[in-house]
Amino acid sequence: MSSLDAALGRALSTPGISGAAVLDAVTGLSYAESGDMSASQDSCEIAELARTRLVRAGASGELESVIVTTSTRHLVTIQLSRQGDPLLLCATVDRDRTNLSSALRELSLHADELLA
Amino acid sequence: MTEGTEEPLPDSRNVPALLAALRTQHRSCTVAVTGTPGGSIHVRDGLVVAMETPGAPGIEGLLLRSGRIGEQAWSAVRASDTTHEHLAAELVDHGLVGAAELEVISLGALFDAAFALSLAVPDSWEVTGPVPTLYRNAGVTPERLLDEVSRRINFLAGEPGSVAALARTRMRPASTAHLPEPADRLPARHRAVLAAADGRRTPRDIAFALGRGLFAVMIDLRHLLDRGLVRPHTPPTNGRPSTAARIAPSAAPPSAMAPPSVLDSASLPRRLPGRNSAPARRPHD
Repeated sequence: MSSLDAALGRALSTPGISGAAVLDAVTGLSYAESGDMSASQDSCEIAELARTRLVRAGASGELESVIVTTSTRHLVTIQLSRQGDPLLLCATVDRDRTNLSSALRELSLHADELLA
Repeated sequence: MTEGTEEPLPDSRNVPALLAALRTQHRSCTVAVTGTPGGSIHVRDGLVVAMETPGAPGIEGLLLRSGRIGEQAWSAVRASDTTHEHLAAELVDHGLVGAAELEVISLGALFDAAFALSLAVPDSWEVTGPVPTLYRNAGVTPERLLDEVSRRINFLAGEPGSVAALARTRMRPASTAHLPEPADRLPARHRAVLAAADGRRTPRDIAFALGRGLFAVMIDLRHLLDRGLVRPHTPPTNGRPSTAARIAPSAAPPSAMAPPSVLDSASLPRRLPGRNSAPARRPHD
């Protein structure tokens, strides 16, 4: 089993996280996907939009995360900085099974594992 | 190494059809593609695990040029495994690169090489026995490879000139790029591409120089083109140096070039600091 798939599998064992994917933040290439993750490539576009608009608006620093919330779920996109183009860890979080802050904490733990 | 026992491959019209046939037969082999750029496609059990082409940086280029691994450490690992069959495992075991990180680089290089190969029609191809190569991924189906390549072509298409032409175009900074203001607002990634676009390098050359993927660099170049910060470098049409006036007489009234008092007081024209850049931002072509 690939290391990426194993890391995503661990993320999915967290209650409330129903899908996860690792994408390239620049090319949108999906390196690994697991569970309910239908709109992963849109996450890349949304993150790119957020990144360029924030820089143009004069914001300094790197993009950390984008959270899109619907009535039933959060679509969480965390940017993982590394040497080279960053990665995106995307996750679908069910709103009625967990809250956003604990899901974010769990996901950052898995993100650190991923890049270790 | 199990050649001879396998059923013959049907005649394939093109490389995707060949890969689909290899997939149905679960073959392990290497396809040598000749052409410009040409390359090798490594297939294991019907799935594509690696592609190499001079048209895009490979895993080695991405690891070394980006500074992830030093030349010395790389040479030491390579020397311990001359067939490259276990190179990926060696790199991870020596702690030179993380397992997930190498997987990301391996897949990234594979899709990037597929994109580079898709930009030209190959002359011919030949299926040979499996050649050992560096890779770390579970393999990609030919369908997924094709889907991703067409997504990339569509993403870059829709502008003047085809994607293949963009990949061959030498880029140079537009005159406005020297003004500090617009370039300062760019992300570091775009600034690096801008600095590498010197009028001699094609997008492929920039990708090799920066240790990034060809497609990623082309996305960034498209962004810089759209903002008017780079422009295609058009070489002079004849060998004779141009004797045309450096400043178009109708472009601006003489008063905009230099204050009249300066022109009157000296017999020779003087350079004025900051007056050499184009007076107005011109749309790129």
